[in-house]
Amino acid sequence: MNTHTTDGTDGAVVFRDLTKSFEETEAVAGVTLTVPRGQICGYLGPNGAGKTTTVKMATGMLRPTSGTAVIDGFDIGESPLEAKARIGVVPETGALYENLTPREYLSLVGHLYHLDRDEAQGKAETFLELFGIADASGRTMSSFSRGMKQKVLISAALLHNPSVLFLDEPLSGLDANTALVLKELLRDLASQGKTVFYCSHVLEVVEKVCDRIVILNNGRVIADGNVEELKDLTSAASLEGVFSELTSTGDLPDIVRAFSESVTGGKGE
Amino acid sequence: MRERETRRARGAAGENSVDWQQLRALLVAGIRLDLRTSRGGMGRGKLPPFVIALITYAVMGLLMAVGLRPHDNLFVYSLFTISAAMFMTALAVIMEYVTIVVHPDDFHILAHRPVSSRTYFWAKMGNLLFYVTPIALALTLPAAVIGSCSLEPGFLFGLFHVLAGVVACLATAAAVVLIYTGTLRVVSYQRFTTIMTYVHSGVTLVLVLAYFLLPRMIEDDPTLLSLNRGAWVYAAPPAWFAGSVELLAGAGNRQDVHLILMAALGSALVIAAAMNTISLDYSRKISELTTSPVETEEHAGGRVRRRPFFRVGLASLGTGTERAGYVLMDAYMRRDRKLRSRVYPAFGLPLAVYITALIRHDLHSPFVQSPGGSPVALQEIMGLYCIFVSLFFAAAMTQTEQWKASWLFYAAPIGDPSGLLRGARRLVIWRYLVPFFILLFVLLSLAMPVLGAATFILMVLPMCLTAFAILSLASPHMPLSQEVERTRQARQLGFFLILGTTMIPLLIAIQLTMQDKPAAAGPMLAALWGLAWVAERVVGARLRRRLAREEFAG
Repeated sequence: MNTHTTDGTDGAVVFRDLTKSFEETEAVAGVTLTVPRGQICGYLGPNGAGKTTTVKMATGMLRPTSGTAVIDGFDIGESPLEAKARIGVVPETGALYENLTPREYLSLVGHLYHLDRDEAQGKAETFLELFGIADASGRTMSSFSRGMKQKVLISAALLHNPSVLFLDEPLSGLDANTALVLKELLRDLASQGKTVFYCSHVLEVVEKVCDRIVILNNGRVIADGNVEELKDLTSAASLEGVFSELTSTGDLPDIVRAFSESVTGGKGE
Repeated sequence: MRERETRRARGAAGENSVDWQQLRALLVAGIRLDLRTSRGGMGRGKLPPFVIALITYAVMGLLMAVGLRPHDNLFVYSLFTISAAMFMTALAVIMEYVTIVVHPDDFHILAHRPVSSRTYFWAKMGNLLFYVTPIALALTLPAAVIGSCSLEPGFLFGLFHVLAGVVACLATAAAVVLIYTGTLRVVSYQRFTTIMTYVHSGVTLVLVLAYFLLPRMIEDDPTLLSLNRGAWVYAAPPAWFAGSVELLAGAGNRQDVHLILMAALGSALVIAAAMNTISLDYSRKISELTTSPVETEEHAGGRVRRRPFFRVGLASLGTGTERAGYVLMDAYMRRDRKLRSRVYPAFGLPLAVYITALIRHDLHSPFVQSPGGSPVALQEIMGLYCIFVSLFFAAAMTQTEQWKASWLFYAAPIGDPSGLLRGARRLVIWRYLVPFFILLFVLLSLAMPVLGAATFILMVLPMCLTAFAILSLASPHMPLSQEVERTRQARQLGFFLILGTTMIPLLIAIQLTMQDKPAAAGPMLAALWGLAWVAERVVGARLRRRLAREEFAG
């Protein structure tokens, strides 16, 4: 593998003191981490922790207030085109040009990455076939279900064979079978040296799929390690327990009781 | 693998150059998106909305050309038709700016892909060209054909009229782009859309003023039409293009040489300046608007200041569903800047005509003849624009970019879903229409007796309410439940023509009757208010049936 990089680092994804502020709010506060090639890194955190903002900075969608993000050796700020050519993204927003058909959309994406027309078309057809939406490939996506759109987004992220994948809630809307396929696919791609940066709230999936888990809270990394290391760190029995212990703002049974009483007005059946 | 990716990234392009493969792909996608309806308008035998818009523009261009009649003076005929085409183009680009020039989705879809700002810019300019050129042709071609048949240079006139018209419209579109991007350079992201709302309204006001004042100036001072047309032509861009047509068609003079140079130089400058403004970075700025927190009155720790009419309108509602629609619409009108930017320009139109009429002393009590003796004075046109305000609201209040949130209306146990729309419509009436008409009453009172001003308002307001009720049938949906449509301005212009041909004769007939028999004013006003009441009832019943069957658009 060619290891020549613009900054000499070895990780596929390197964040150095990555920070993003929106006026007085610090959404991401000095995140520093390195994800080596071939690793699936789970990126967890409660709502508003800064996960999506981190992904947006790493993929060139937002400029960091300070710090750097280096993708496969290329600083996304200094060499955006080189870095972007190496990444595939499934964004949380699910944004697509919905008035295009999947075939047209994937063809557009293929051209944006300079794929050979036949190669892009062949890959697109294969992806749509494997995802079970080939029959709908001639229809505009405005009529698609959430899951169908997600399948197109995943296809678009994989089309150009990227070396780094940024996936923000990639299983959103997918049926169980497709989710299973995607999880296995990620493991297979990682074994071939591809790096996956995986943001999700679904802890069971993260626990099963990811080699390493980074937990973010209030824009800061508060835990980093594999599942066993995190369990040891907190003495919790599961990732769910680890997550709750590290990020929960109150006693869970108390919160549940307060909610329940609020729903029923304190008059349980 | 790595080298291949680098080659791909660099392609033909660096960050500052154009990648032709990407450019072509983006252009094709943009054209497809322009030609398609918002929800799967492919292969259903329907005309694409853009084509419908072009037909509307062509009809308008034809009416304009027929209405102006080929003036003996080639310069004046070109001046009128080209200025109208520029005006219409500016309005079209202003109203469709966010979808044609920069769309927030562009950022989410393209920002993480290896597309240079330059490539993105050229794709956007290509889309703008694709959008503006057919509009310019539709607007100028009828005038060119009619002019070719009746003006001496014949075919040559038609050819150069179309050419000058298209360049003028492109320069106009570029000028609108410059105004937008220029604004973004000097203000924060958060303030951008707020300012855009007022820029929309301001530009509309200036354009309408220019549209009304320029022909009137020429009418007032016929020497403007002589060979020595005075220095004013240098300050009026449409005159540059009209002079160019005259010169190219072989009927020019020395001044036309200056004008064609100004047209060429002005167009080149404005287009070149606009070319340097659009970028993916600019799209990022637009998009950051959607990710940055918005400071609201509540966040600022203060109470929401309700206008006095808000409580009156709320108190007039009978059901919780209606009140829900009312409060929802109020919140969106206060915070959804894009929604506001779609409706605020509506107020610029009557106010611009008011200013023009005030300058020309063309305002008169409905009980007396207009100063010029014509039954259609500027005041009647102002009345028409007042009625037209309702159309902007009727079209906009069902559409938002957050339309998917409307699933709630369909999932909630609402017995009469039309109550939501009724509440939203009541908000528009009490928060916007009533205060606006009160302001207009005050303004009119400055130029005519109070009784005359009050009568005019009491005459136009029920017509506006009637139109508002009827026009709700053109978009019979739950409030804020539909995706924002492209080319809606063309449909609005179509409705404007229908309104103009029905409401203006009615307005004139009532005024003429009042001038003959002032005692008839009371019964006629009562009849107009009765008509508004009946329209509200009939339309309300129809909307109740229609909305009971409506399904979620998502």
